[in-house]
Amino acid sequence: MTLLRLAIRSHRTGAIAMAAIGAIAGLLNGVGFEQLVGTSPLERHAFATQMELLGRQLTYLLPAPVQLDTMGGYLTWRAFGTVALVYVFWALLAGTGAARGDEERGLVEEWLSAGVSRVRWLATRTGGFAIALALSIFVTTAATAAGAALVNDPLGMGDSLLEGIALYTIALFGFGVGVALSQLVVTRRVASSLGAIVIIALYVLNDAARSGIDIGAIGHLSPFYLYDRSTPLLAGGTFDVGANLALLIATGVLLALGAIAFARRDLGGTIVRLGGNGQTRPTARPSRDPLLRLPVLAGVDQQRWWTAGWAIGISLLAYLLTSLTRGVIDTLSGIPSLRPYVERLGLVAYSDFIGVIWFSSALLILSILVIVQVNGWAADDAEGRLETMLSTGASRPRVVVERIAALLVSVGIVAAASTAVVAIAARAFDIDVPGDRLVIATVLMLPVAFAFAAVGHALVGWRPRVAVLLLGIVAVVSYFTQEFAPLFSWPDWVKNTSFFALYGMPMTTVDWGGAITLLAIGVFGTAAAIMSMQRRDVGT
Amino acid sequence: MTNAIQTQGLTKDYGSGHGIFDLDLAVNEGEVCGFLGPNGAGKTTTIKLLMGMTHATRGGATIFGLDTDRDSVAVKKRVGYVPGELPQFGGWRGTEIVAYLAGLRGDVDDTEVEGFAKRLDLDLSRKYREYSHGNKQKLALLLAFAHRPALLILDEPTSGLDPLHQQEFYGLIRDARARGATIFVSSHVLSEVEQICDRVGIVREGRLVTVGPIGELLGAKAHRVEIELADASAAAAIARVPGLEQVTIDGARVSGLYRGSFDPLLAALAGQRVVSLVSREPSLEEIFLSYYR
Repeated sequence: MTLLRLAIRSHRTGAIAMAAIGAIAGLLNGVGFEQLVGTSPLERHAFATQMELLGRQLTYLLPAPVQLDTMGGYLTWRAFGTVALVYVFWALLAGTGAARGDEERGLVEEWLSAGVSRVRWLATRTGGFAIALALSIFVTTAATAAGAALVNDPLGMGDSLLEGIALYTIALFGFGVGVALSQLVVTRRVASSLGAIVIIALYVLNDAARSGIDIGAIGHLSPFYLYDRSTPLLAGGTFDVGANLALLIATGVLLALGAIAFARRDLGGTIVRLGGNGQTRPTARPSRDPLLRLPVLAGVDQQRWWTAGWAIGISLLAYLLTSLTRGVIDTLSGIPSLRPYVERLGLVAYSDFIGVIWFSSALLILSILVIVQVNGWAADDAEGRLETMLSTGASRPRVVVERIAALLVSVGIVAAASTAVVAIAARAFDIDVPGDRLVIATVLMLPVAFAFAAVGHALVGWRPRVAVLLLGIVAVVSYFTQEFAPLFSWPDWVKNTSFFALYGMPMTTVDWGGAITLLAIGVFGTAAAIMSMQRRDVGT
Repeated sequence: MTNAIQTQGLTKDYGSGHGIFDLDLAVNEGEVCGFLGPNGAGKTTTIKLLMGMTHATRGGATIFGLDTDRDSVAVKKRVGYVPGELPQFGGWRGTEIVAYLAGLRGDVDDTEVEGFAKRLDLDLSRKYREYSHGNKQKLALLLAFAHRPALLILDEPTSGLDPLHQQEFYGLIRDARARGATIFVSSHVLSEVEQICDRVGIVREGRLVTVGPIGELLGAKAHRVEIELADASAAAAIARVPGLEQVTIDGARVSGLYRGSFDPLLAALAGQRVVSLVSREPSLEEIFLSYYR
């Protein structure tokens, strides 16, 4: 029981964060349905017809739209498609954490030496995740149902339960992928990166199939295809028992393969040796890489592959969203009930769409990048690297400033790469995007990252264990505030509580006041970070 | 002689009796000072305070006259440090770790690094996670010694080293001392402390219980005595003689650690038939244990 309790506990933060994200998304989309769609059958029918036209162009991102004039149809399309993907990514990270992260930290060795078998270890970690996942999904589906009930358009309790089960089975599949891939590589980071590529590939496979590209039965191999087959919230919708069973069987196979590989391989090793014998020429000399000895650039150099990965990922998304611009704007402009919402969003020209949709997505992604880095700073302290750095005579303020500066250089590289792709894609799809505005909008993302990084570092110095959670809440709340404020016509002061609102819409108008505020937050945050770093006891 | 390290009422109180309390300790320049104590006695806490990693609850410390808290950056420029818990550098190669930390320090000569790496038989081309515990310890030693610091603060420095490399470590200490460096070392290995240290401080439950030259601790203050009497019934009376500690009685044989003047013991034995009496200087281990029994 102790092992199971610890296994559940290790997923506690993730489960709470996911429940919060899922609940906010479900609740707000439920409540927002009436605002967006209207109340009369005529308004709803017009909305559904036009949005289904748009939705068919968005099948690269969201499930195929059906029954958008009903609460169930709207939530299936707008909420659960995205939430499922987010849950799968969390499950993937949980899987790599259980199967490789604990091993990296020496926990697996401790438990095995205490007489726990490898299979029992993995089974218990899986059980712990399964319980945490169930609780998290329960909160998500309950909040979504509550949102619908609040506007007197309730979902059936049984239907919500079945939607939760469908979400549960696909998330478990993500965990299985994480466990299986962790047997092939020696670090959690690489396993997670590989897993992310696999998940995205499987997602795109299903996207391609539902977008009408003829890829034959291969599309049916995607777990997202199996997930899409269950539509319990639709009127006359079904819960595909076979598809969910297939997902559970696939998860079982992945976990069994993971368990077999784990039982056969060495601790700290892999089941098969990839990429040669790993031998290098012995040396007693330090690296000749000059960047490693330069302030700030040393931090950038250490993470060059990590930064490159982010740049590639965000650039692909930039291309995809830019390619959809024309179709989305044309459709949205043709829906009368959406016109006020579209105007409040400021979507008039194609370049506005890039400004609003692309840059708000990019800001969220860059914020996640910052949060991941903040997590790394907290780990530096816990894993003794900070102590080693300080023992060289580097001052604490220098460490803080260099970390933030190195992160801003990385963010700048990632942002510049994505903007270059937006510019190329815009030209390819014949969208007129003013180059100077694009550059300004890109440069103005740096103050947002600066403010996030500085606040994150101040939190790390104050309470390293909760810094990531708090910063994640700030990012998610900021994103949702910005997304839903126009929909609900929230007052300006509410909108301005969002970090992202301070960024404004620089593709249309530059909000210098917001930019200066962000810089001020960054400067004060850095000062607070230096103060908290000076006061803290390292390693506690 | 000036002090390399000087603490005055240095205290770090973690609550529930944990930490280090009212530590007054002076380490002279050029000497090798050992710091002994069991787990949780406060050795690492003291070292982290000296390194400016943690802040004192009260009291303070100086290194070469510089405040360890206020002037911690200047202090660390003159100090080489081996932490008690080794850091985790994951997939970094030894070459990258050394280059990065040398860049932060700024005064490390690559030739020195190469010399120490060869001396410790450490291959820097490998990834940190592939290093054994011993090799990680060697890397920590290399990072501490490579800039030829004036003071070395070493927390359990031979942990994980094989006997061959322990000998190499003793050689590094001798060389550092020969060029005038001061060394402050915490250790559980009493034979090691006996071999390399000039003075030893013993800490118990967060308080310094004794400090002095090794020779003094080993000689003047206590003797190991073993007495065999003709009459076993007299053993209990002998065991009660003031100054006799850690007493064991085995039939007519009485043994223990005797402190102070021999007059009371000899007076007690005067009326007894003594078969044999052996008195010798105790080992450091016996001295150490005498503070914990």
